[in-house]
Parts: sequence; structure tokens; C-alpha cells
Amino acid sequence: MNQKRNRRMFVLFCTLPTLLLFCIFTIYPLFDGLYMSFFKWSGLSGRRTFIGLNNYLRLLKDPVIPRTIFNDYFLVAVKVIFIMALALLFAVVLAQLKPRGTAFYRFVYFFPNVMPVVTTAILWTFIFSSNMGLLNALLGAAGLDELKRSWLGDLHTALPCIAVVLIWAGVGLFMLMLMGAISNIPRELYEAAEIDGAGRWRQFCQITIPLIWPQIKTSVVYIITTTLNGSYVLVQLTTLGGPANATQVMGSYLYQQAFTNYNFGYAAAIGVMILVLNLATVLIAQLVLRREKVEF
Amino acid sequence: MRGDTLISCAGRRAAGVLLRGFLILWAAAVIYPLLWMMISSFKDTNGIFLSTWSLPDTLHLENYVMAWVDYKVGQAFLNTLFVTVLATVLNLTMAIPAAYVIERYAFRGNRVLMNFYLTAMMIPACMGWIPLYFLLFRLNLLDNLAVLSLIYAVGKLPFSIYILSSFIGSVPVTLEEASIIDGMSRCGILFRLLPQLIRSGIITVVVMNVIQFWSEYFMALIYIQTPEKKTLGVMMNLLSNNAQHQNAWGALFAGLVISTLPVIIIYATLNKHVVKGMLEGALKG
Repeated sequence: MNQKRNRRMFVLFCTLPTLLLFCIFTIYPLFDGLYMSFFKWSGLSGRRTFIGLNNYLRLLKDPVIPRTIFNDYFLVAVKVIFIMALALLFAVVLAQLKPRGTAFYRFVYFFPNVMPVVTTAILWTFIFSSNMGLLNALLGAAGLDELKRSWLGDLHTALPCIAVVLIWAGVGLFMLMLMGAISNIPRELYEAAEIDGAGRWRQFCQITIPLIWPQIKTSVVYIITTTLNGSYVLVQLTTLGGPANATQVMGSYLYQQAFTNYNFGYAAAIGVMILVLNLATVLIAQLVLRREKVEF
Repeated sequence: MRGDTLISCAGRRAAGVLLRGFLILWAAAVIYPLLWMMISSFKDTNGIFLSTWSLPDTLHLENYVMAWVDYKVGQAFLNTLFVTVLATVLNLTMAIPAAYVIERYAFRGNRVLMNFYLTAMMIPACMGWIPLYFLLFRLNLLDNLAVLSLIYAVGKLPFSIYILSSFIGSVPVTLEEASIIDGMSRCGILFRLLPQLIRSGIITVVVMNVIQFWSEYFMALIYIQTPEKKTLGVMMNLLSNNAQHQNAWGALFAGLVISTLPVIIIYATLNKHVVKGMLEGALKG
């Protein structure tokens, strides 16, 4: 009896304080944010006025909102395609072909994931800048002066440039994840395929891809959530959503509505929108990427 | 027949060269900005903008003094160090017992608890900014570095618990059973035996969390107001915005090196553990 009580106390001691703190800092804000989205509220001294669904109606009418949603999903699509393609390429090459310097590449490719995002933002702002940027210098050297521009200040190039930085910063982590999965595939499978006369490309399509599918799925879902929940940091640090909202994403717009314009109720409604879109997108991605589990 | 193999052989070699070239190109794209940052941090303004490609004529170490003292990067560095260390310790203190009990004790609801944490990972951080800001305001806890650390630590709990529990799951139970027979208490196992058994897992979690805590930007921006308490991310962004008005480019690059080098060094020294941690099923599908 005493033993049982002792055990129960231990379980409680290990889980309860943690769970309590987690709820205070994560679950409470979630519901408070939801609640707040039904009020008009301009900050510390202002009074909260209940306005029902008005903040959500405003979301539908605000011309910036479709722009931010488009930009977010543009980044999601571009990131999923390019990060997965590059990470898969690097992972296969480094884990299977093992060229000279594999350890070096594996080590270096992870650097962008380690670097503080502020450093990344500042360095890339220099690379893209109009008068002293590396990109313009390279174009000048190649005799392509007419292509020179202020890359982050141009309506057409700003968002693709943000995407380039996000891809640059993201590949390393997923390369490592996929490398781990690939090196767990038994060698005999490839040897058997070799005997059967299957070329490298067929081995890749019929052995590698099916066997690392769970990790591919996890990676895609992870890219989707981190983009919808995180690309705003780079946006805020490089362009502040400009020029003319060309790079504005939902999160950066939320920040500006809340802490620049003091529209806290409206910003809370944007937060709810991000949550809903995030959950819906992940759910759809899970369904689309579902496959029979392959055992080996 | 022979011609075929010859062609495919040449094709393979060409593909190999192409791949090798691409690997080198990507490595250059990763290293170049870092290298340029380091070199520029030793140049004066003229050197940075006029001779972008050359090494510095003399080492302008005063950039570092200027950044550290005049632009308060030193203060921000110490603040960030404090927050990162405290947040990492708090995170482990909470995550290790939780992960241990979830993995080893079949109590009612341990699966539910795990799924709860995993699902909560989906909540966007930006949704919490406003409610937490006002919660801290009412509790008079805004502008407090220790509280910021606690928020960081709690926010990374799902990640840490997930990784640690998968490491604990891969350790055989026999060692714990033997320790119980030897008369070790539950707490003894948790605090003395377990950390040795899952060392790799703890290091993986610590490195991944330190990287996040060190460079966190938005919460530090929102919850900290006093200039003396600002962390590196916020301070460097400020310095970067002021650099052109104050001609402080050298100091800016020195500041960037100061804020980037520590995480690179931590990663470089613990690289083997991190890679091992990742490969050993820390991130299972």
C-alpha cells in the first residue's frame, strides 16, 4: 500500500509541476487569445469592448490579409519543394555515395541552422543590398548590369529573396534527418536490387523513397508548421513586411497590428486565423502524404 | 554492348563531377557570408565598402571594443548568456522527470500526456505574445530576464520531452531494476543513474535548445523593455538599424561575430553528439 502511494507521489512529482507551468504559459494564452479576439481593445489603459465577430468580419474585408495568406503559402510551397529536393539530394549523395569530404559537408551544411536568425537577416540584407551587395557585384562582373536592383526593395523580387534565405537556412536540418533514415536502410536491399539489374535511379525510387517515407512526411509537416509559425521573424528583421506589404506574412502583420497599432483584439483574431490555417494545412498534408507503411 | 557501358561510364563520371561541383558550391554559399562577416569585423568602414574582397590592411580591433562597450553588445551578451543558461537548466529540470515517467511508468494517461504535449507543439508562438504580455503585466513580471528564461524553457518542453523519452525508451530497463535491488530510491535513479544513461540525448536536447534560446528575437523584444536588459538579437537589430546613421559598420560586424561565434563553437565541439543523436532515432518518423 505504502509502495503504491510512494509510486503515485513520484509520478505526480515528476509530471504535475511541469504540466501546470506548461498550461500557464501555453494553454492559457491560447484560450485567452481566443477570448480576446471578440473584443475591441487598444491596450493597457483602454477598455475592452465586446464586439462579437466584428474582428473576424474585419479580417474578411482587410485587403492586406489575402496578401499575407498568399505570401505565407508561397513560402510554404517554395520551401517544401526546394528544401526537400536539396535535402534529399545531399542526404542520398552523402549517405550512399560517400564522396571525399562527407564529414566536412555534413558539418558545414548545418551552420545556417545554428546561426542566430538576426545574423542571417543582417548578412543577407547586405548580400541583397543595392549599392554594396554581393549579388549586384556578381551581376556587374558578369556584365548583367540591367539586372541590378535593390533586391529586397523591389516589389517583384522581395518575396522570392526571402524564400531563398529561408531555404538556405533550412536545408541542413532536414538533410541530417534524411541521412539518418537512409543509413538505417539495410545494405542487402540494394545488393539484391543490383543483382536484379536495377539501376541507381530505380533503387532510389523503389527502395530509398518508400523506406524513408515516414521521415519525408515528418519533414514536410515540420516545414509547413515552422513556416506558418516562424517565417515572420526573418520578414520582420529584413523588410518589415515591405515594400507595400509585398513580403508581409500573417505573423508579422499580427505583430504590427498588436504592438505598433495597438489593435490587440484584431491581432488576436489574426492569431486564431494562423492557428486554424496551420491545423488545417497539416491535416491536409497528412492525408495527402499518407502511404502504406513499408517494413523491412 | 561495350559502347553502351562506355557511354554510361562517361555519363556517370560527368554526373559525379556535376554533383561534386554542386556540393562545393553549396558549402561556399554557407561559408561565404560567415567568412565575410569575420573579415569585415577587422576592417574600418572604407575597408568594408571599398575593398570588399581583400583582407584587412591592419586589424581594426577597436571595432570589438566599440561594439562591446559603446554599443552595449557586451551587456547584451551577458544577458543572453544568463537567459540561455537558465532556460536550458530549467528546461532539463522539467523535461527529464516528465519524459522518464511518461516512458517508464505505465500510469493512467501517460499516452494522453505525451500526445497533449505533441499536439501543443502546433500552437503558433505568435498567438501567445499578446495574452502573455498582459498576464506578465498584471503579475508585474514584465522586463524580467528570469521570467523570459522560464517562458523559453516551458515553450521547448514538448520538443525536449519527445526527444528524451525516445532516448530513455532505447535504454534497457535492466540497469534501473538492478539499482532498485541495490536499494537505490526512485529519486536516486532519476537524478543520478538516468542522466548517465541518456547522456547523448541530453546533449542533443541541450545543443538544439541553446541554439534556439540564444537567438530568440520576438519574445525578447516584446517582454523586455529596459535597454540594459536587452538580449543580443534585439540589440544587434538595433545596432544594424543605427549603423548607417552612426557609421558604425565595423562595430556592427564585430557585434555579429560576438553573437554568432558562441553557438558555432558549441555546435562544432558537440557536433558528433548532435549528429549521433539525430541519427540514432531522435527524430523518428
